[in-house]
Formats: sequence, structure tokens, C-alpha cells
Amino acid sequence: MAIIEEPLALPSGDEALASNPLGVFSRPRNATGLKDWLTTVDHKKIGIMYGMAAMFFLLIGGAAALAIRVQLATPNSNFLSADQYNRIFTMHGTVMVFLVVMPIGAAFANFLMPLQVGARDVAFPRINAFSFWVFFFGGVMLNTSWFLGGGANGGWFNYAPNNGITYSPSTGIDFWNVGLLIAGIGSLTGAINLITTVINMRAPGMSLMKMPVFVWMTLVTQFLLLFAIPVLTVAQILLLMDRVFDANFFNVAQGSDPLLWQHLFWIFGHPEVYLMILPAFGIISEVIPTFARKPIFGYPFMVFSGIAIGFMGWGVWAHHMFVSGLGPLSVTAFSVATMFIAVPTGVKILNWIATMWGGKLTLNTAMLFSIGLVTQFTIGGLSGVSHAIAPSDTQQTDTYYIVAHFHYVLFGGALFGFMAGFYFWWPKAFGYKMGEKMGLWNFWLMVVGFNLTFGPMHILGLQGMPRRMQTYDEAMGFAFWNLVATIGSFILAVGTMLVLVNAYASHRKWKAAGRPDVGPDPWDGRTIEWSIQSPSPEHNFDVDPQVSSLDDWWHRKYAEDEHGHLRRVATAEELAQPGNGEGVHLPAPSYWPILLAFSLPIIGYGLIFTLWLCIPGAFLLVASMYGWSLEPADDLDIPHDHGHDDHQPVGAGV
Amino acid sequence: MTSRLGDDVTTDPSPPTLHSDQSGATLEKVMAPTTRSTSRRLTTMKLSLVAGLALLISACAEDKPLNTFEPRGPRAEAIDSMMTPIWIIMGVIFVLVVFGTIAIAIKGRVAPEDYDEDDLPVQTHGNFNLEIGWTIAPAILLAVISIPTVQGIWELEETNADPASGECRANADGSRSGELDVMVIGQQWWWEYRYDIDCDGFFEDVDGDGEIYGPNGAGGDIDDTEWDINIALDDDDLVIANQLVIPAGEQIDLELTSRDVIHSFWIPRLNGKRDTVPGRLHTWSLEANDPGEYTGWCTEFCGLSHARMRMSAVALSGPDFDAWLDNQLQLADVPTEADEDVWAGYQLFQANCMSCHVVNDGNLSYGPLVDEDADPLDLEPGTVKDFEAALTAGAAPNLTHFATRTVFAGAIFSHYAGLDADDDIVDPGEYLELSVDDGNPDGDYRLNEAILKRWISNAPDQKAMAPDDLRGMPSFPALSEEDLDHLVAYLATLD
Repeated sequence: MAIIEEPLALPSGDEALASNPLGVFSRPRNATGLKDWLTTVDHKKIGIMYGMAAMFFLLIGGAAALAIRVQLATPNSNFLSADQYNRIFTMHGTVMVFLVVMPIGAAFANFLMPLQVGARDVAFPRINAFSFWVFFFGGVMLNTSWFLGGGANGGWFNYAPNNGITYSPSTGIDFWNVGLLIAGIGSLTGAINLITTVINMRAPGMSLMKMPVFVWMTLVTQFLLLFAIPVLTVAQILLLMDRVFDANFFNVAQGSDPLLWQHLFWIFGHPEVYLMILPAFGIISEVIPTFARKPIFGYPFMVFSGIAIGFMGWGVWAHHMFVSGLGPLSVTAFSVATMFIAVPTGVKILNWIATMWGGKLTLNTAMLFSIGLVTQFTIGGLSGVSHAIAPSDTQQTDTYYIVAHFHYVLFGGALFGFMAGFYFWWPKAFGYKMGEKMGLWNFWLMVVGFNLTFGPMHILGLQGMPRRMQTYDEAMGFAFWNLVATIGSFILAVGTMLVLVNAYASHRKWKAAGRPDVGPDPWDGRTIEWSIQSPSPEHNFDVDPQVSSLDDWWHRKYAEDEHGHLRRVATAEELAQPGNGEGVHLPAPSYWPILLAFSLPIIGYGLIFTLWLCIPGAFLLVASMYGWSLEPADDLDIPHDHGHDDHQPVGAGV
Repeated sequence: MTSRLGDDVTTDPSPPTLHSDQSGATLEKVMAPTTRSTSRRLTTMKLSLVAGLALLISACAEDKPLNTFEPRGPRAEAIDSMMTPIWIIMGVIFVLVVFGTIAIAIKGRVAPEDYDEDDLPVQTHGNFNLEIGWTIAPAILLAVISIPTVQGIWELEETNADPASGECRANADGSRSGELDVMVIGQQWWWEYRYDIDCDGFFEDVDGDGEIYGPNGAGGDIDDTEWDINIALDDDDLVIANQLVIPAGEQIDLELTSRDVIHSFWIPRLNGKRDTVPGRLHTWSLEANDPGEYTGWCTEFCGLSHARMRMSAVALSGPDFDAWLDNQLQLADVPTEADEDVWAGYQLFQANCMSCHVVNDGNLSYGPLVDEDADPLDLEPGTVKDFEAALTAGAAPNLTHFATRTVFAGAIFSHYAGLDADDDIVDPGEYLELSVDDGNPDGDYRLNEAILKRWISNAPDQKAMAPDDLRGMPSFPALSEEDLDHLVAYLATLD
């Protein structure tokens, strides 16, 4: 454990203050390679790690999805046993929601939001690294269940009392429970961190109503996380007590009502849906104006509809429970509330269309994915209205119609938006554009595969095919559309993989060409992240940007000439910051976030297998907190000649 | 790309769904007239289109026993007709928005070679009135839709008059008057149905103290009681399993609950679904317009064999239903030693099956009570846990009139063969004839012995179950082929 390094001599010749209390490491320095990634507190690197981890989990979740589709391709198939099928569909849902869609959202929030508000980093850089590692270890721990007794088998919603030890004696559900508890800690600390960053660290002049829409959506998303995750955590702690310590929170024989779990789960679960989709809404609200060459139509409506979704999202959870016997009064209230949440979402759709209307559109990959979101999310929204109507929902809920609906929302919506974001901000993150030719294949294969996979599920559901079914009979008449969906799923899988292939191939091509500079602003962008070099320098901004309007960067490039014509007045290269980070003070990397995060799965395994293992876990936890608290507050080897104003919170006028 | 697709279709022998004469004619047409590649490509394209459409239509026209668009009862019809205008509105919005978006995208496209950075479109920042308009318009539309929605929610909750009103369902002579209430109990992974025959409005003795609780808490508040998950029975009532039988044209009120985890009761052609939650009683109702068999499926994930927990509801005409009910209320025949096979089967049943299954032949022993937590599989042959286990067995379907049902094992198997080559569904007019004792073993209704024997000898192989955790039926490797024959011979007498 002796990773203690001697502080380097200061350029000034002064001697550094020795501040190494017992067991406290000094900060890692001059780290490169793996050590750099493990100890970094740079929001951009952390964002990239969120994205890479999510892609890794996407491969697991996607393989599970294909296994499900192969099993269902033909009636009475034995490709997967009932037990395997139950574990695989549970893990597919869990991995995709918690370890793919949520972290990709976090990847964009981490990488992009500080750049868009003109900050050097997030408010609490070490906590940011901690958030990532906690999420990552929680996700890895959840997936080790595959090798340690089998994945969870209670569905991602994991209803009581089926989730109890009586009905689910294998450890899969414990992994689900503890793994997500741990990952949830990361979401929570991340939410506090990002909210603080948005509120406190905006560039001078960036009032709330001059923030990019993506920043707004990030803010709403993080507030949803802040309040939603604790509800799930409460439910999971109760379940943990039941399963590990024989408590009776969900034991019907002792008088509990299993609907308690459903209420807790969906009070978390429905805001969860919105916190998965809102980042994608934010992304395409940046992409569409850029490639339509028009400002977003109705910025205030876009902002307030997002906030409205954030508020109304708390009042609709029981629409997941219309048939669970709530009584007609509750059903009426939640049915009507659910219908009206369609209003702000509809406003967003129409505003995006109005942004495109009359624009001069560049239909590149990022733009096509954005248009794909608008159209496919509309389908998901419409089917959503049909089951907001509770009587109709009694026929639809828990059928494939629902499966179709939420894939149109989460895949056709969120993931298509994320794909748009990948193509759009790739040059800012890595310094090269992803290839357009393969990008078009990427998009069209995904659109075709997606609609072939999930379109038929509408029909299957209305023909009565229930969800979570290991198999079905020929006589039920489900075979044809299931086969179509399976064929579609493989097209979709190939299409989705192309984004990774494209990233790799484009990188090789770029390297072979001698790493040409893509320039600060390859898309003629609108927001201030395009005013710095690509890939963005480690210190982001050389000097704090001054913001005077919405789409500030665009307004610096375009102005009216003497005839009143809007014209290009300056090139991006003339206006962009040169990327000179001399004298800039950055937060130093740290060992403690990853060590503290690593202590949690040790305790987690202890809860599942033997409580003795909790002792070393708890020891590492306490030791890491101690080390974290006493860690030298600053790196000593960089002189502070730049003054302190560059990293002070900037109180932007609201 | 397209031609390759077309070739695939032409080389493929006509799809099974096409009538052979039709596809033959189309094929001739394609082959005969021309060798010119373009027109050939065109015709093969046409052919693939025709074949695709035929496939599509045949796929749609196939019988879909769970189809929600083919309601056969008033509740399902109400849901369906309420949704029709809403589907149309949604369809219109879908076409307008999706194709509108695509049209705008195509119209506004600027090719990369025409891109001029000074040629900017009009910089519209928004239009307040327009945006208020498209906020309010959908809100009004949704407000209108919410009116039938709210009406529908409350209508679906309506049940018959107070079930404990004293109106009798079964008269002394076996005929019925008044409404029928059925309790539906889900468990892993089959359904139990209890009919309130003695007209007291009650089904169960919740905590075994002799006090009985009726639907909607009549006779006591169910929430005040410690819920015994092994719901005891009002012993004058009828307990059957797997196949629900109802009179057509009458609304049947259901009381739903569960013995273990949450299930959901759904027969799509008759009504929407409602969950069965342990510790709770939910009301729901069911009505079929006409006699027939209606299939259903558990729609709440309920563990290992969720996919194999299905339902069958048979609606019979009024007189047929009364005749059925009359038969169900009879005790099962006790075999005599004269019929050796059946007698041997009876002995085997008592030795192997009675600790979980019940056949009510008037010889049920109710005691002495043994330890409630005892594993039923460890009990002495012939003894049962306690009174309630005597009738419900707690763990397995009541088999008193097993041979009058057409399905078993969570309604996944039909135990009658030869009904109709590929159709398990019984003609309800002949439902009452289901019996193997009618002296015509080769007739239309023959017990499918093979499937029953397979099931008895190794049930976990036929349906995923966890018998070691007391969930599902264990295998009986000790039973010989001859034993199985005897057991099936005995089961066949349970009509």
C-alpha cells in the first residue's frame, strides 16, 4: 500500500509543507496511463469512463436481449430454461436501466455540463470520481451474480412477496438488491454534485434563462435523482432486512401488505423514467438548432415543459398499478394525472418540429438520430396515452404492448438521443469526427432494426401476449410476429454495434492521417463548449468565458451587417480560446474516491455470503474516509500565481 | 438487394400459408413472359410483395384466443368500444406528427455542396400564441378523453348487488336462482376456484376460528384479522381447480386473492385483468355472452413457471351449467375391489397423492391436526395436515371431479385427446359429455393417458417447478409403468 511519493520540489525553490499524517497518502502526481484513469478527478475523464462502462454493460444487456429474442422466436422453444429465462430478462431490464441508460445520461452530464456552463470542473471533483467508482463497482458486483449462483430472477421491478427468501431463495435477488443499493449511492452523490455545479459555477453572465437546454435538463434530471433514489434505497434496505436478517416488512403471513413494495418501487420508478429520457431531450435540443441553423423554438416553453415533467413525474407512479387493486378513486386520480403529463411532452415534440420548420437542415448522423428520437418518441408517447386510460390498461398492462411502449420511449427515445449526442460531441471529447458514411449505416440499421423489433410487439401485446413469458404455444398465434421481432433484434444489434466500430475505425483513420486538428467548432455550434479547442484541454477554459446571451458562442460568430443581413462575422478559429493552460490551477487527483468506493462491494458481498467479510470492508471504508478527510487539500507543486479568482464560484445573475 | 430478396421468395417453395394452386399460378406468370432483367426484377418484387402480404394476412387471420380486439363479454366489449375512437385519434396524430416531421426534414434539407454559411434561415425564436395553442389543444383533447375514462374506471368496479343479501344461489333441489360468486385463488402455478353454493355469501374461515368472512369484509373486517395464508374453507362450498365454469349471459362476481405471491387473473375476451394479491381480497367480475371456452394467462410475474400458469374458462348455457353444478356437488365414487385396476389406483393415490391432493369421496379424515409447519411430503400416507388442508390440500389442486375438466397442470395440458385434430378447445355443447365411463373409449372423448402418465411420473420435467421448496409437484420415480396405468384408471373414474 505504500504508494506514498515524495512531493516534487517547488519551482519557487520553497520547501513544501510536510502534511502527511499517519496513513495519509499524498496526492498522486504526474500520473499517466492506468493510474491516471484510476485516480483522476477530471470531469471529462470521468464522463468518458461513465460512457465506456455503460458501453461495456450494454454488451451484457444486449446479449441478454438477444438471448430472450432467440428463445421467443419460435413457440415452445427450449433454448433457455424457465429459470434461465427469468434470470436473463430480469438482468436485461436491470442492466439496461441502471447500468446503461442512466450512466450514459451521467456521462453526458459529467462531460458536457461543466463545459456548457463555462466551469473548470464540477463543484466536488473527488466526489465526482467517487460517484463513478461506486456506480461501476455496484454494477460489476451485480453482474458477478452470473458466476455466483445466477442472476436475479424477480424482474427488474422485483415485486414482493416474490422477492422474499421464501419464494426466491437463490442469491440472485441479493445481488440485485445490494448491487443497486451501492450504485444508488453514486447516483445520489452525483446528483448533489451536479446540482451544486449548475447552481454555483456558471460563467459570468449566464443567468438561468441563458443556460443551454441540456444544462436545464441535467438540472431537472439531477433533482429527480436526488429525490427518487432515496425511495428505492428505503425499499431495498427493507428488503435487505427481510432477506438477510429475517425481518417481516414484506411478509404477508405477519400482516404486511405487498403493495407497499409496489408503491415504494414506483414512486422511485416513474421519476426514473423521466430522468432517463430528459438528458436525451436536452441533447437533441442542442443538436437540432445547430443543424437547422435556427435557435431552439420557444426556449422558455422547452425549459418550463421540462420542469413541468419533473414535477408531474411525481404524481403518476400508480399508473403502474392500475390492476393491482388500488380502488377506483386512486385509479381515477392517477389515470387523469398520467394523461396530462402528455401535455408538456407534446409541447417539446412540437417545439422541436417547429425548430426544424423553415430551417436549412444538414441531415448528418447526429441530426438523423435526433429526428429519429422525435418520431419514435411520438409513437411511444401515443401508446403511453392509451394505457393512461385505465380501463384500456386493464387489457394492456403486463403485455407486450407495454414492452413495445417503453422500448419506443427508452430505446427510440433515450438511446437515439444519446447516439445523436455521441456523434455530435465526439470531436469535442476525442478530437476527431466519427465517419459519416458508417454513421448513416449506423442510423438506418438501427431505425429499421428497432422498428422491426418493437413495432410488432404492439400487435403481439394487443393480441394478448403477456410479458415475462419464457415461452408460448403455437395455438396462441404469436409465432409470426415474434419471429419478425427476433430478426429485427439482430439487425438492431448490428446497427448499435456500429457506433463502436465507427469510433474505432474513425480513430484509426485519424491516427493514420497524422491526427489532423478538427478545429474548435466543427459543426458551427451554438454553445460555449465550442469556443475551446478539440479535444477540450484538461483545464477547459483558459479564462472564464463571459456570457451575454443564449447561444452565446453563435452570437459571437454571426451578426447583422450594415444592410441588416445576418452574416458570419468571425471564424471559430479567430474567436476560440487557444487552449493555453499556463498557470491554471486544477484539482489534483486522489486515490481515495476509488478506495472508498471499493469498500462498499466488500461489505455487500459480506451481507450476501458471510457477515465476517463486512469487517475488512468496514475497515477500508473508515480508513478511506479518514484518508480522504486528511488528504492534503491541494497539490503543492503548482504555484498559485494565477490567483484564486479562476476557481471561485461565480455567482451569475439569476 | 431487392432482387436478391425476390429470388429468395421464388426459389422458396410456396409458403405453407398460401394455397398451392394460387402460388403455382403466380409462379407461372412470373416465369413465363419475359427474361428481361428489369421487368423480371419487378415481377419478383411484386411476387415477394404478394407472398409477404399473404403471409401477413394469414398471420393476422389466425385464431388468437387471447386477442383483446375480439371481446366476447360485456366488460371486454365496453373497453373495446370505448377505445375505438381513441385509437382513431391516436392514429391521426401519429400520421400527422411522424410523417409531418419526415416531410419537414426532407423539405428543409440542404445538401452539403449547397451549404452556404451566410445563407441563414429566418431566425425564429418562438411564437407565444402558437405555443400556448399547442399546449392547450392537447390538454382539451385529453380532458375530453378523460370523461369516458373515468366513467369506465367506475363501471368496471361495479359488482352485482350485495352478495350477502340472502338471495340464494342454489335451491334445495339443486336448481339455482340469483347470482353466483366465485372466489379465485392464485398460487404457484395454477388457479383454484371456489363457488359459494350454500348461499351464505361467504367463502372462507380466515383464521380457522370458525368465524367466516364474506366478500368485501362482510361478517368482519378482513384487515383486522391476522391473515392465514392457507385460506380455510366454508365446507359446504365447491372447490375446483384450473378450469373455471360459468353460466353464459350472467355476470359472475369474483373475489380474488393469492396463497403465495402476486398473480393476475386475465381472460382477455371477457374482461381486463386484476391482480390477486396475498393478504388482500379484490373484487372483479366476468361475463361471457355465449357458451364457449375462453383462455387466459397469469399476467403478473409470479416466479419460475409464470409462463405455464394459464387459465381456461368454460361458459355453459344456463341448464347445462346447472347440470354441471349438480354433478360437481356429488361426492366422488369410492372404488370397489371388484375393479382391480381402479382399486389398485385408488390405493396408490392414497399412498402417494393424498398428502397434497384431495378427492372428496366422503371419507376425508380431518384430523388429528398435525404440526402446521410440517412438510406435506413427510406426512404418513393417508393423513392430511388439518381441516383446511383436507379440502384444499394447501398445495395442490382438488381432484374430486378431475375427469370432468379438460385441462390440468395450470391449464397447460389438455387431458382429452381426439377432440379435434389440432384444437384443444372443447365444444361447450359437448362439455358435459366429457367422461371416460360412457362405454365408448374410442369415441370423441378419450382420456389422454400418455400425457397424464408422463405428468405423474415426472412433473418437473413437464413444467418448471421447485418441489423441494414445496412449490409444485415432485416426481415419482418409484411408480412403475403399471402403477401409472392404475393411477390413470382411478383418475378416469373421477367424473
